[in-house]
Amino acid sequence: MICKLGIRVRPVVKAAATCDHLLVAVSVLIVDDHPAFRASVRAMLELDGFEVVGEAEDGTSGIEQAGALEPDVVLLDVALPDMSGFDVAEQLAPATKVVLTSSRQAFDFGRRVRSSRALGFIPKDDLSGDALRRLTETP
Amino acid sequence: MTRAVRIGLLVLGAGFGVVAYRAQINGLGTTVLHVPGPSGTHTVGPFTTSGRSFAVVAVGIAFIAAGAIAWSTRYRNRIAPLMIATGFLWLARQLRYSHNSALFTLFFLFGDLAYAMAGHVALAYPSGRVRDKWELWLVRAGYTSVLLFNFLILLFYDGNVRLHQFDPSKRRSFLLFWANDAVALKIQEIFVAFFYGLLASLFIALIVRRFIQATPRARRLLAPLLLAVAVAALRSVWECIFTFVDRPPSIAYNELFWWQIFGFIAFLIAIVDGLLRARLAHAGVGDLVLELERTPQHRLGETLSRALRDRTLEIAFWVPNRGEYVDAFGRTIVLPTDGIRAVTKLDSDGEPVAALIHDPSLLEDPTLVGAAAAAARLSLENARLHAETRAQLAQVQESRARIVTAADEERRRIERDIHDGAQQRLVALGLQLRSAQRTAGAADDPQLRKLLEGTIAELQVAVDELRELARGVHPAILTEDGLCAALEALATRSPFPIALDVEDERLPEPVEATAYFVACEALANVGKHSSASNVTVEAHRHNGVLTVEIDDDGVGGASAQNGSGLRGLADRVEALGGRLVIDSPDGGGTRIVAEIPCAS
Repeated sequence: MICKLGIRVRPVVKAAATCDHLLVAVSVLIVDDHPAFRASVRAMLELDGFEVVGEAEDGTSGIEQAGALEPDVVLLDVALPDMSGFDVAEQLAPATKVVLTSSRQAFDFGRRVRSSRALGFIPKDDLSGDALRRLTETP
Repeated sequence: MTRAVRIGLLVLGAGFGVVAYRAQINGLGTTVLHVPGPSGTHTVGPFTTSGRSFAVVAVGIAFIAAGAIAWSTRYRNRIAPLMIATGFLWLARQLRYSHNSALFTLFFLFGDLAYAMAGHVALAYPSGRVRDKWELWLVRAGYTSVLLFNFLILLFYDGNVRLHQFDPSKRRSFLLFWANDAVALKIQEIFVAFFYGLLASLFIALIVRRFIQATPRARRLLAPLLLAVAVAALRSVWECIFTFVDRPPSIAYNELFWWQIFGFIAFLIAIVDGLLRARLAHAGVGDLVLELERTPQHRLGETLSRALRDRTLEIAFWVPNRGEYVDAFGRTIVLPTDGIRAVTKLDSDGEPVAALIHDPSLLEDPTLVGAAAAAARLSLENARLHAETRAQLAQVQESRARIVTAADEERRRIERDIHDGAQQRLVALGLQLRSAQRTAGAADDPQLRKLLEGTIAELQVAVDELRELARGVHPAILTEDGLCAALEALATRSPFPIALDVEDERLPEPVEATAYFVACEALANVGKHSSASNVTVEAHRHNGVLTVEIDDDGVGGASAQNGSGLRGLADRVEALGGRLVIDSPDGGGTRIVAEIPCAS
């Protein structure tokens, strides 16, 4: 949430039991063209103490929203309708932390995951708040 | 034309020749005249000699003889009658020198038609027809001008002046209308300027143009003739120039006379040379029958090309079920219609067999092409069947390649559908279940938590299996990043180490997919049967062929015949025009090589 004064307000995490070491929620932008997946991952991440600040259904709107919302993390699907998630990551990272995800596995993309500017890759079926936190909190 | 008729013509020509010789000798005279003038007496003549008159007559008879020879060959009914008529007209022209008024009037009027007709012969050679509009105009202008101008001269000529090419003897015109020799001379000057100057120059220009525009084959045949007639016509231009020189040196007249004679003789030699070449070409067709016995079908075109002396000749074979022409290798040929190349279609019992695409100059001798086609008929039939079979094979090959491409596209579509559909829904479901699991955990309901754990685990198995299925149908990485990346991914998840040596470049999709599935199947066999410890996969493109080689040091014994999946892959490789070689001796490891043609 961005107030009119331009001060960024981050509410204290409500579900303190699951992430009691955090005082401030990590903001996330979800970029994926499947509405069902976006809804599921939003529910799961919010339950895990993340703040989902926005959703985008393609690469172009993902880049626009990342600029406007300045999320801490962009959870980015590799297969987008208008452009590749790798190309979106090239534009956003390293200014923004980008985590790639896909229903395929990392080796299905060969060297592209390793050579990408993203923090890392989480297969969609392994996605969880903890998995995302492990990647984003790695120095 | 029978031999007797030919001999008869020559005898008649010789008879005319004697008459012409006597007419010229008696008419012009062989003596030198001493003519008094204002500046003293000067000599004129002789206007002919026995040698010059003989040469003139010889040219006329030579025209008749060449025409008779031409009539007996392929030029019958076309150029031969023109040549014979030119010869007789040439001889008859000499009667205009007669002092008999009737003969003088008649042959002065019509005699110069011989020159116009000689030009007509040159422009009509070798087909016998003048087709070009400028050439037609020139021929008509030639005939018209010789008749018109000579008619006009006869209207005014009173016999008191010396006409061009005549001696000073007095002759009477039967057509005299108004005696005015000055007008007659002026008309003759205009005639000389128009006919020997303008028309002869145009004639040379058209001959040069014809030579420039001719196809290479026609140029070879036409060159001697066109050179000869151009030289002969140039002489006319010179005659025109000398006519307007006040007192031409006698040497010039003498040179011009022999220039004319040798020009016409060169013209006739060139025509006879053309006839000999045509006979040689026909003789070449005779040899064709023997040569065809030794000619393989795919070289039939070269053999016919040699026999017809046309290096550009091509053969197109008719394929009935495709309704089109193909070459010896079964590739479609579109018959040219632009006129730059000519087409002769060959039928058998009303059915098309083949078409010869050749130099248009061959159309001037259709009997030659017909004779060659008749000689090659059996070979052409065989070659047509051969080409038809090749065309069908090519069709089958193209069809197989299209099937492979369509199957690949279908595989890609299925993989996308699995990925975008069921896989996404199951993944989303898994996330929802895990959210539910957390909520249930918070509610401290162990039974529900256990139930959810089991469901999530089962769902994960389903997701894994579906992912594996999609990957096996068509790996996305192959579409996205190509063969090298796909093989790297394959090696990454392989249970045994694989040494990769693959060029990282994009190739046509069917080639990449075929190479990938060959490697996949070979590696699957290694995993299942070979017990190998060293496995290498190499893929390199060289000279438009991608070679994929999979080697292992396992137990060997692999074969495309025992249902290993390699048979299907061999079919797939062959569908793209390639080949699959399996070298797998018992105990000696396995080497599988796929060679797949690829344009880029």
